[in-house]
Amino acid sequence: MAGVVLETLSWKKLIALGILLLLLLLSFFLIGGLVAPNPSNVMVVLGTKCLRKGSHMQEEWFIPFGGNEKCDSINSVDEDRVYDEGISANQIVFSFWLPYMRDGKQLDFSRWQQMLLTVMQLDIQYDPKFPMVKGNQYNCSLLAFFELGSLHYDYYLINVRVPVEPYKGINMEIGSLMDIWVIGIHQNGGFTKVWVSIKTAMFPIVLAVLIWFWRRIMMLTRPPNLLERTLFSLGIAMSLLNLPLEWLTLAVDMPFMLMINDIRQGIFYAMLLCFWIIFAGEHIMDQVERNRLKHYWKHLAAVIFGCSCLFIFELSERGVRLTNPFFSIWITDVGTKLALSFIILAGIAACSYFLFLCYMIFQVFRNISAKRTTLPSMSSARRKFYLGVIYRFKFLMISTLFCAALTVCFFIISQLNEGQWKFMDQDLNLEYTSAFFTGVFGMWNVYVIGLLCMYAPSHKNKPMETDETSNEEEVQLTHLPSETSSVQAFAAKAAAD
Amino acid sequence: MKALEECQYQFEWDLWNCSETPASLFSMSNRIKADRELAFLHAIGSAGVMYVVTKNCSQGIQEACSCDVSRNGLLGKGSDWKWGGCSDNIDFGEYISRHVFSTTDTGRDAHAAMTTHNKQVGIQTLQVTAVLICKCHGVSGSCTIRTCWRQLADFRVPGNILKKKYKKAQRVNFYNGELRRGNSVRNVPLSLVSKSSLVYLSDSPNYCKIRHVNGMIGTQGRQCIKQEKGISVPKEHKKNCERLCRDCGFQIRRETLQEMSKCSCKFRWCCTVTCRDCLKTVTKNFCHKED
Repeated sequence: MAGVVLETLSWKKLIALGILLLLLLLSFFLIGGLVAPNPSNVMVVLGTKCLRKGSHMQEEWFIPFGGNEKCDSINSVDEDRVYDEGISANQIVFSFWLPYMRDGKQLDFSRWQQMLLTVMQLDIQYDPKFPMVKGNQYNCSLLAFFELGSLHYDYYLINVRVPVEPYKGINMEIGSLMDIWVIGIHQNGGFTKVWVSIKTAMFPIVLAVLIWFWRRIMMLTRPPNLLERTLFSLGIAMSLLNLPLEWLTLAVDMPFMLMINDIRQGIFYAMLLCFWIIFAGEHIMDQVERNRLKHYWKHLAAVIFGCSCLFIFELSERGVRLTNPFFSIWITDVGTKLALSFIILAGIAACSYFLFLCYMIFQVFRNISAKRTTLPSMSSARRKFYLGVIYRFKFLMISTLFCAALTVCFFIISQLNEGQWKFMDQDLNLEYTSAFFTGVFGMWNVYVIGLLCMYAPSHKNKPMETDETSNEEEVQLTHLPSETSSVQAFAAKAAAD
Repeated sequence: MKALEECQYQFEWDLWNCSETPASLFSMSNRIKADRELAFLHAIGSAGVMYVVTKNCSQGIQEACSCDVSRNGLLGKGSDWKWGGCSDNIDFGEYISRHVFSTTDTGRDAHAAMTTHNKQVGIQTLQVTAVLICKCHGVSGSCTIRTCWRQLADFRVPGNILKKKYKKAQRVNFYNGELRRGNSVRNVPLSLVSKSSLVYLSDSPNYCKIRHVNGMIGTQGRQCIKQEKGISVPKEHKKNCERLCRDCGFQIRRETLQEMSKCSCKFRWCCTVTCRDCLKTVTKNFCHKED
């Protein structure tokens, strides 16, 4: 393997660069924590119970408030008027207008708010015929309602009817429905603005580094090796994730944005997982010649299998919602089983991946400690070569662990904080969840930029052995270190002979 | 009025049956005694206002509901809901209950302190009963993003809690501008009152002797419940008639009444239109003055 920038860099420069990247990282967290609002907010809307006068067949929309357009409504389904006028269940329409009124004014959605996800909460009066929980109301769980991948319009009017069909038994024994709440979750415009700004800023930077990296490789006399190609792909995946497509949603109705974002993120993380496997594999330092994708098929298959499971799940949940926003795979029994099986399969794939990765890292460390013992007996060129390999590996290990630990820590903090959000509304104004998102996003950007810079081939000329001699010497050297690998090494030597 | 309705439900079988006018929820004018019943009234009153305002905000019919920006990030463009969304409806309900309906009792005397304290207990009780519900909507619906909101429980829940607090209410004294437990005559250091319990300043009057607006005295004419065939009575009301009538010097009179009620209803989620009106014979017990 050729020397990389990391090895030729002096400590001073390395520390300076490290501090620079750390500061960049910190600024990402601060932008998210201080500037951006919470990623999403919620609107709890209580349905207005409008009365339908005309025949059942008539298509009609009911508007909960306003001047002349306001529907004729009742306050409660058990008020006297309902009995006096003989109003039936079929005549009641629950009407919702999103977003609701505030300060006496009608709010309107902004396209910056990106998406709307709604759930329904039903208030059902307790009936002694169905004793479940003692109390005045049943404790009903939430119902998924609909999900819109784009907020292209200013207002959304929802009419819900719960018609009774006595002969078919539809909606007959559902208890006494008093109210319907619709809870709308939308992304915050401010968060989108901050998010898109970060993406817009990072996209050209990563792209520039990527081009620089590839030109470095092109300047080499040899063709790019596997690790370099993987790193390049990782850069491409990062750029894809950075691409600020959100700008388009301001002009065009793009309900598929949610799905595209999920897929982009999926591609990036899949690429990252592949990169770790290949990086570890290329640093095992045994005599096996890898440098080809074929050697990693088991590991990569785990990644690809897991990701495609999640992809199919995604398609069947958010994909179907493109045509029918009310669809959810979880509402039918078969769908739930299917979705669960996909998620379990993906989980199995993830587990096997991590076993592979851990085993590989274990192998690397075993070989590193083995090499360490033999280092003094090597020629200076060999020693330099192995020291370089060990150094490169350790550097990546530490930075990766640092990033992963930071992600996990911050995720836990943001989750904990949200659970307790009720109790600490006034005292702290740091948005942990936003900070988590911008921070983690910025962190992986910094990580990829760092890798592309550090692991680009160095153009400072370094004395390097040619491939054949290093291979030969490696074989001769490997049977020195330990008893356990000597048999293996002997076999390999015999094969080489 | 939601609070009064709930109060009358909670005290249906008590000596004091919450036969109050809505005005007494918010002022002291027509009650001279600062007893534990008043404490309950204030607490349930402020909780009721908060509850109704929150519901109206959610329905969009409360004109004055505003978009509070307290949770919008520091540098956010404050008043813009497009930047950070609006605050919870419950916060606004609390604000209205705390600031708009407390204007009648200002001042630094014992009564004002008691009112403020009990109203705070009511608000706090409603807040505690509101459930925090979260929904995950991250990548593919995972929990990387979670949004939480508070859902009001049925008003019966805070009602039940406040009834329990009513029973455990503490008698306090106003001392150095603070409400303190116990009697100031004894030379014992007085402890401060817990923030979650109802407090009162004077003992309740004898509700057997109180003259009501309609000229009835005490529990005269009130219905009571008795353990009988076909009627099961909650444990705490086992001796309801004795307590309500006998102890006040009234007699229990058994009356058989014809009552109109809805029956043989077809069960549907709303508006039982297929009901018929039937005449039902019921037996009830009333407190009756001795002739």
